[in-house]
Amino acid sequence: MSVEHNCETCPVHAEMAPLGATVEAFDRVVALAGNPNTGKSTLFNSLTGLRQHTGNWPGKTVTRAEGAFQFAGLRYKLVDLPGTYSLLSTSDDEEVARNFLLFGRPDCTVVVVDASALERNLYLVLQVLEITDRVVVAVNLMDEAKRRGITVDTRSLSRDLGVPAIPIVARTGDNMMALVGEVAAVAAGETVTQPLRSKGTPAFEHAVTTLVPMIEAAAPGIPNARWIAIRLLDGDVPVEEALASGRLAELVARQQAPDARFSRKIALQGAQ
Amino acid sequence: MSAPIATTPSDIVREAAALRRSLDAGFREEVVTSLYGEVERLTRRAVQDSGSGPLELDQRIDRIVTSRLLGLPLMLVILAVIFWLTIVGANVPSQMLASAFFWFEDLAAGWFTQLGVPWWITGFVWHGVYRGLAWVISVMLPPMAIFFPLFTILEDLGYLPRVAFNLDYLFKRAGAHGKQALSMAMGFGCNAAGVIATRVIDSPRERLVAILTNNFVPCNGRFPTLIMLATVFVAASFPPAVASLVAAGSVVAIVLVGVLFTLVVSWVLSRTVLRGEASAFTLELPPYRRPAMARILYTSLIDRTLFVLWRAMVTAAPAGAVIWLLANISPGGVSLATRTATFLDPLGWAMGLDGVILLAYIIAIPANEIVVPTMLMVYMTQGRMLEIESMDALRTLLVDQHGWTLLTAVNLMLFSLLHNPCATTIITIYKETLSVRWTTIGALMPLALGFIVTMLTAAMARAWFGF
Amino acid sequence: MLVPSHGVLAQFRKYRVTQARERTENALKHLLRQATDGHVASFTSLQGVLRMSDRQLMGLTQRLEREGLVRSEGTQFQLTPEGERVALHVLRAHRLWELYLADELGVPIGRVHEQAERAEHGLTKEQLDRLSASMGHPELDPHGDPIPTGDGSIPESPGTPLGAWPPSTPGRIVHLEDEPPLAYAQLSAAGLRLGQVIRVIERTPTRVVLTDGENEFRLAPMVAANVHVAAVTTETAPAAWPDSVIALTRLRSGESAEVVALDPSFRGFARRRLLDLGFTPGARIRSDLATLAGDPRAYRLRGTTIALRREQSDRVLVKRLA
Repeated sequence: MSVEHNCETCPVHAEMAPLGATVEAFDRVVALAGNPNTGKSTLFNSLTGLRQHTGNWPGKTVTRAEGAFQFAGLRYKLVDLPGTYSLLSTSDDEEVARNFLLFGRPDCTVVVVDASALERNLYLVLQVLEITDRVVVAVNLMDEAKRRGITVDTRSLSRDLGVPAIPIVARTGDNMMALVGEVAAVAAGETVTQPLRSKGTPAFEHAVTTLVPMIEAAAPGIPNARWIAIRLLDGDVPVEEALASGRLAELVARQQAPDARFSRKIALQGAQ
Repeated sequence: MSAPIATTPSDIVREAAALRRSLDAGFREEVVTSLYGEVERLTRRAVQDSGSGPLELDQRIDRIVTSRLLGLPLMLVILAVIFWLTIVGANVPSQMLASAFFWFEDLAAGWFTQLGVPWWITGFVWHGVYRGLAWVISVMLPPMAIFFPLFTILEDLGYLPRVAFNLDYLFKRAGAHGKQALSMAMGFGCNAAGVIATRVIDSPRERLVAILTNNFVPCNGRFPTLIMLATVFVAASFPPAVASLVAAGSVVAIVLVGVLFTLVVSWVLSRTVLRGEASAFTLELPPYRRPAMARILYTSLIDRTLFVLWRAMVTAAPAGAVIWLLANISPGGVSLATRTATFLDPLGWAMGLDGVILLAYIIAIPANEIVVPTMLMVYMTQGRMLEIESMDALRTLLVDQHGWTLLTAVNLMLFSLLHNPCATTIITIYKETLSVRWTTIGALMPLALGFIVTMLTAAMARAWFGF
Repeated sequence: MLVPSHGVLAQFRKYRVTQARERTENALKHLLRQATDGHVASFTSLQGVLRMSDRQLMGLTQRLEREGLVRSEGTQFQLTPEGERVALHVLRAHRLWELYLADELGVPIGRVHEQAERAEHGLTKEQLDRLSASMGHPELDPHGDPIPTGDGSIPESPGTPLGAWPPSTPGRIVHLEDEPPLAYAQLSAAGLRLGQVIRVIERTPTRVVLTDGENEFRLAPMVAANVHVAAVTTETAPAAWPDSVIALTRLRSGESAEVVALDPSFRGFARRRLLDLGFTPGARIRSDLATLAGDPRAYRLRGTTIALRREQSDRVLVKRLA
């Protein structure tokens, strides 16, 4: 939290500017993850100036949408992911989100949570914290929560999780600068996070630590060997096959390219 | 302890299997339970919930919206109201746009003639391309500009998951997934988008069922056709006071027929080529949210409407050109359009339609939006060159000159619901299934149903009501 | 995601092969079963299973002998080592399919046997290895039967038939035999489940009476022989739930409860999904909405409303809260 943003005095657009769909040249990649219906797409629109369709039902976004914004001189590619409850269970839309979080090497992952249903949303946050240090939790829908008589102490949350937790209202753009500032700091490595990670049983930890070096030796440079180890222990066949056939590397590479399985036009406009 | 030095993937998989045996069978469950334990601790520390008014309100609304007695009727009423508003609201602007556009067509064609431009250029540009565009815009723009915002409001409110919840039992009986209702709702906008939306369905079998049946939901390219037919033909036989209600009612009826076909075809698929049981279904019913009206108006009007319109125009302009050519190239004194239409006539008759309508559907494979304009253009080139300034003129053209009856209108509505998906949707089905076989089935099965259903209705109408 | 399973569906149809092959494999399976149970297979017992005419069966057994799969002594038959290998392969296919159908496709457990019977034939070893891997190399099928491994060994069948189980001693059901299907249907209709702890309270030549502490189950001895039990270890003891534990479905609208467990027989993807949604032991839940048919229902859990079908809410065990 070493970057100071005095936004009362600075003209906002000098620092932050939406860049729409121009994602060719960028300095950092930021992923937007979260449960369904937490306002990821609204936040995405608000930051990039795009008009990704939003709607209040689970499964509104089923593909990866990309946009960009500029902040403090750097260009950020923002990737809006389908909502997911967990990194473990996977329908096709959730797999899109999971693969990108695991293998897309985002410089920062913003997990958007619904302030009025933290108990459900934090489960995914903890899972994301297991696989990456660079996380910012955006506690969205603070206004809705307040209307329901729910208050969230984001400071306590931030302390407990070991990563920044920023209250926002994506719909009105409330507190957006604070969020973007924190994302920038985490992506640059200026904010050092200490993510909360719980250890499994000794037998489980032993199994994982046995497998991790083997995986790293078999597939050098693979991100998230720990996660792969856990999936192998779970007997996850797509992962087994991906590892055996060397497609894991391909999967990693594919996360850098846009989701090619659908027409962008349909995703952005026709998909109404 | 000597750690095995194994780095080939199959070694790793084998090692993982060995280690798995050392773990409790329920280790995954323990991990989840302990994570949730942690979550509960965090929540207790960070969240203060002072009992909640609005949540209670949400739940009270839900109790009505999903109630045993009111749930389904309420859904139908909401749907009917949306269509009624669309029909009533679109009527006048449609007429105004049509007369403005066709007034300009005459004017511009006049200029061309005065300037000495050859007749065939005038005809090609103004009576072909321009007329196609004019029809698409005046028939499609007003209903879409009303329908989309209304539908988006429902979407933003959070009503769609409740629909899926209400209908799940029916889908379950049909061997399908309740979330199919969500992909169908997307299909109202665009079937290609509906096909992509089936990704939310976990089970591959049920996802295929949803993909193959998505086309039974009329997309926005087909709504104008339905609305026009409902207004000009069905409603016109009723007193003006109830005409718009009847029109809305008949569009709802067609949508219900679509839902019925979705369920029946899902049922049949689940018992034949896609045999299997209905699987698990978990659906979150999110809290209701206040729709952001300004954004809805903006996105529905600008993005959705213009996008669909643009797509329609891109296909309408070449289609207009093709039709003009077909109508004006006359080897042996009979135009190609007439020849083709005459050739298709027997099949069209059997379906309660005619050759021109079938020809229009063939030309309109790239986009369903242009079926009606195409049809009208062929009719107009066949008969006297009649300008259509109003819906009444349209009625006159079709009924008096081309022998349309109520049967033609009803069967055209049915065929508009049951025919092959547009090219974009077919490509999307292929992209999502990566299977030529399922793509073929997805394209031809609705078409086959369309033939069968229209032939049956035609036969019955002729036998019993003497059409 | 779609393509591999679509492949599986394709296999489903593609390998519904000729009757002759099915009969061969069914005969081998029967011989293997008889051998493991310590019985000797005879012409009559084969006929009972395969429902073939004398002449047809004669032809079949002669062919099996010619192919070196079976040895005969008089009217009795035995598998050769090669025959045993093939039989184990078919058995593996059958049990893996049963598990796949039950866990991944959610076919009701009473129907998996019949469907697997159709699908088991003509799969290659590689396909079975894949199927096995896709489920994390399971060891038991949904009925608790051991699944033969790829190298042709069969883990020992667990448990003792109920007929040989000492009365009044608590035993945990480790296996419900799925053949003949009629007997299995009776067992599942009676409500006997894997993992249930029972005691034999009466055994006469005409009936066997069991109790799980709440309900009594009366079974014909023939049927009871299809239930295998094992000693109750401390680890498995809590499998018998007290009265206050009910299925989530039985919660009336507005009632609150605490999740106790997910039914152990409920497995695979659907179980993982419920766990991920927070249906973990100790979670507070309230029955909230019911649709026209009373199915699905929606529940308040962890601050959100989640709709479930009856098949799922039946498998969530809860305890009512006052």
